[in-house]
Amino acid sequence: MKMSLAWIRDHLEGATPADELAKRLTAAGMNVEVREPSGDDEVWDVDVTTNRPDAMNHRGLAREAAAAACGTLKPLAIKVTEGATPVGQLAKLTVEDAQGCPRYCARVVRGVKVGPSPARLAERLERCGVRPINNVVDATNYVLLDVGHPLHAFDLAFLKGQEIRVRRARAGEPITTLDGVERKLTAEDLVIADASRAVAVAGVMGAANSEIAPSTRDVLIESAYFDPRSVRLTARRLGLKTEASHRFERGADRAMARTAVDLAAELIVRLAGGEVAAGVLDSGPELPAPREISFSLARLSAFVGCEMPKDRTIRALAALDLAPQIAGDTITCTVPAHRVDLELAEDVYEEVIRHFGYDNVPSALPSEAVRPGARLGTWPLTERGRDALAAVGAAEAFTYAFVSEEIEAATSGSPLADRGGVVALDNPLSARMAVMRRSLLAGLAEAAGGNLRRGAERVLLGEVGRVFFEKGGKVAEEERLAVAVAGSLGPWDDLRQVDFLDLKGVVEALLAELGVSETTWRHATAPVLAAGEQAEVVRDGRVIAIAGRLGDGAAAVFDLPSEVWVAEIDLTAAAAAAHVPTFEPLPRFPAVTADLTVRHKLALPYDQLVAAITAAAPEWLEAVSPVVRYRGEGVANDEVKTTVRLTYRHGERSLTQDEVNAAHFALMDRLGRELAVSFS
Amino acid sequence: MATEPLERARQEFLAALTEAGSDPARVEAVRVRFAGRRSGLLRELEDALKTLPREDRPGYGKALNELKKLIEERLTAAQRAAEDAGTKRQVLDVTLPGRRPVTGALHPVTLVRREIEEIFLRMGYSVADGPEVEDDWHNFGALNMPPDHPARDSQDTFFLKDGLLLRTHTSPVQIHSMETMPLPIRIIIPGRVYRRDSDLRHSPMFHQVEGLVVGEGITFGNLKATLEAFVRVLFDPRLAVRFRPSFFPFTEPSAEVDITCVLCLGAGCGMCSGSGWIEILGAGMVDPRVLSACKLDPSCVSGFAFGCGLDRVALLKYRLPDLRLLFSGDERLLRQFEGVAR
Repeated sequence: MKMSLAWIRDHLEGATPADELAKRLTAAGMNVEVREPSGDDEVWDVDVTTNRPDAMNHRGLAREAAAAACGTLKPLAIKVTEGATPVGQLAKLTVEDAQGCPRYCARVVRGVKVGPSPARLAERLERCGVRPINNVVDATNYVLLDVGHPLHAFDLAFLKGQEIRVRRARAGEPITTLDGVERKLTAEDLVIADASRAVAVAGVMGAANSEIAPSTRDVLIESAYFDPRSVRLTARRLGLKTEASHRFERGADRAMARTAVDLAAELIVRLAGGEVAAGVLDSGPELPAPREISFSLARLSAFVGCEMPKDRTIRALAALDLAPQIAGDTITCTVPAHRVDLELAEDVYEEVIRHFGYDNVPSALPSEAVRPGARLGTWPLTERGRDALAAVGAAEAFTYAFVSEEIEAATSGSPLADRGGVVALDNPLSARMAVMRRSLLAGLAEAAGGNLRRGAERVLLGEVGRVFFEKGGKVAEEERLAVAVAGSLGPWDDLRQVDFLDLKGVVEALLAELGVSETTWRHATAPVLAAGEQAEVVRDGRVIAIAGRLGDGAAAVFDLPSEVWVAEIDLTAAAAAAHVPTFEPLPRFPAVTADLTVRHKLALPYDQLVAAITAAAPEWLEAVSPVVRYRGEGVANDEVKTTVRLTYRHGERSLTQDEVNAAHFALMDRLGRELAVSFS
Repeated sequence: MATEPLERARQEFLAALTEAGSDPARVEAVRVRFAGRRSGLLRELEDALKTLPREDRPGYGKALNELKKLIEERLTAAQRAAEDAGTKRQVLDVTLPGRRPVTGALHPVTLVRREIEEIFLRMGYSVADGPEVEDDWHNFGALNMPPDHPARDSQDTFFLKDGLLLRTHTSPVQIHSMETMPLPIRIIIPGRVYRRDSDLRHSPMFHQVEGLVVGEGITFGNLKATLEAFVRVLFDPRLAVRFRPSFFPFTEPSAEVDITCVLCLGAGCGMCSGSGWIEILGAGMVDPRVLSACKLDPSCVSGFAFGCGLDRVALLKYRLPDLRLLFSGDERLLRQFEGVAR
């Protein structure tokens, strides 16, 4: 908030240089963020934390300055000259809801002459960002900035029945606030009313029907203390944030209610003439007993980690009006009404430490024994997923966890994504961020599209993150890993368009990095992926991943310029399948390899061919690996020639070429008979 | 022995030739030095024959001939090798890009998160996690933000059904941890958080890392030392660290932690608005109300907590101009982080 340096100094005895004052206030927690010269004054932008409504005014800051050893706080000089007519003859006060309004003070000033304020006062208000309006309203604003208590001035002539009633509004009761907006109130809103209608929303804003006008002669000044919660709920419901509501909802000073009305009455007479009626209407002059907080100086020192000097501690607490009393090691503070933030000993510790100076506390690392740290929860899993992404060459992307309903629907047709309902946001920022994703493909496909539209020749993106499912009123979170591959892959002098086997290779490498082996790939029918160009990866009967070309429906939603291949892995399921390697003895005898070209129907999948070969071969067949696949001239349309390399190795002895040949030919015989394949 | 100079010459020749490798100019220099017609070493050794006693001459002569033959053969071979290399060199352009396997890149926020985690793991902290969907109690209530508390204003919340919400900070994991972990607790909590806010400096989804230490006799001085060590390892050992009193509902006392601007090292620049300082962490001693909410006794245990924005650290560290870039999935940005140590 904007403050005037000269105004702060008005409250201080002793002349601390401006630089020193700013430095000490900042060190004590009243952060002077910006300083700007303004005439013979300086405007300071001070960041007062929200727990300190008492310091959101010039006197409050001066009190902090005094505690920070920048002079002493001057006592408040109040001298109201009252006329003969008792205020009770001029106005009547009824507080119907003492819970919502524990204290309401009012004074009446009669015979004012409304006009502009003197230049000096108007200038001060402007420096603090308050627009001068007229001398009466300016006086109330001045007192607000001076001592922090929000006030309101009514034109007494407009208060029907010359009456103030503090009551709850009637449901639907209308009020046109000073900003010219007509608002409807609810039965929970506290209002200030006259005999027939609401004239202010309590603690938030006054109404146009009773505002000070050039014709105003008699003024009723309101200085109240409202229940913070009530003000907050009303301000929030009305979407109105005012200087008054800001302070009331954080906690105003119940004692200051009376002082402020005196200050305002006196100032109005000075600026606008008139006479203050005798006495004050006060609904709650008795204040609750002040809270006492005791603490041990030794415990404070133990908490800080260094000896806190008694004299400095006492001095700071005294300067903060906490009236410290010492009995041995125990200090007892009495909390004044303006310090709404002080409840426990630790709250007072803060007062002492910040005025001792955070920077004066010696730093020392914790001395307790250190135990080894570890990554807990899902961190080991997700970190392994990220390393896997990097290992396969992907760029790790972060995409938003909330997406549009349309995108969510377009990406959730998969066995990994339909494990629960959609989680919707009650108050999304926009329709584009309306629901939580059930698949990482939601963000990743969009990111892939963005890169393609920017002209990327190759896209290789990955993400590790959570997806969200609604399950019986609860939300389940699961960890996923996804990749998107598009464009061309391979060395620069041998580039190819990405196809299914490229994607499968990426997924296989990812699974290997995740420690997952022994998976089965099979055709799948997930709606999110293109029909006939997709697979699911199964381990122990459980689908742990899907992979394929993003389907045309989804591609249209993302407006993809070309095809995008995607895969998603259920990280938790994959982790369950991860294995720990154990040593297998290295081979002691040489291997013999032999290639085998098999012409077979396309309907025979590779894994079944390998299974048949393995079944037909001697037990010393060590491995079968693909060499080449051929379709084209000389091969029927529904056929393919697959060349595989067989590695033979006996664990106990060297194989002879003759026995390998014999076994190889026997194998071919058996395959030919059992699978109806040929070898040409 | 009279043939000793010959043996020395042989060794010198072989060494020189090895050193010359397949560089034609250096092979030629070796030829001139050893077999040059006018001043080559062989010529000198030949001349030396005449000065030897008669009985030594046959032995010396025989050895000299062997040396000559060796030098001739080896020089020819070396010249041929140098020539071959020259031809190969013409064909091979070593400046062409290699057929490189694709290299991966971790997200800048992952990189700074890991860097921060490493610092704390080395100090005996564990890395904790928790749900991103929370209830009101863990996100607010237990953290001394009862319903209608004004501090909730600064954390514009996304609400879900049934009183659930997207966590607005990683602090609820502090609560889960204090509810379940044995003392002493020493954890950091990196994670994704959500607030209803979007502009150049705010993203509705972003990342924080918090730290929590709870045990007997944890002091404010402990907090200071820990954070000083942390920021100096993360950014620069020369950094000054400044603690300013502040307010958070879940710590008492609370502090904002400023560091010397990492860009200008305190001289004043655009990034620090000329102040020489940048705000990097919020911290404080765990509020006794929070300890009590977790069924810990504030009269026996104390603790400190701190937190900072991971995205902001990434922005500072890598000089990124706009927070939202981090969530764009733009490979032109992401691939700039290839080869960053992870």
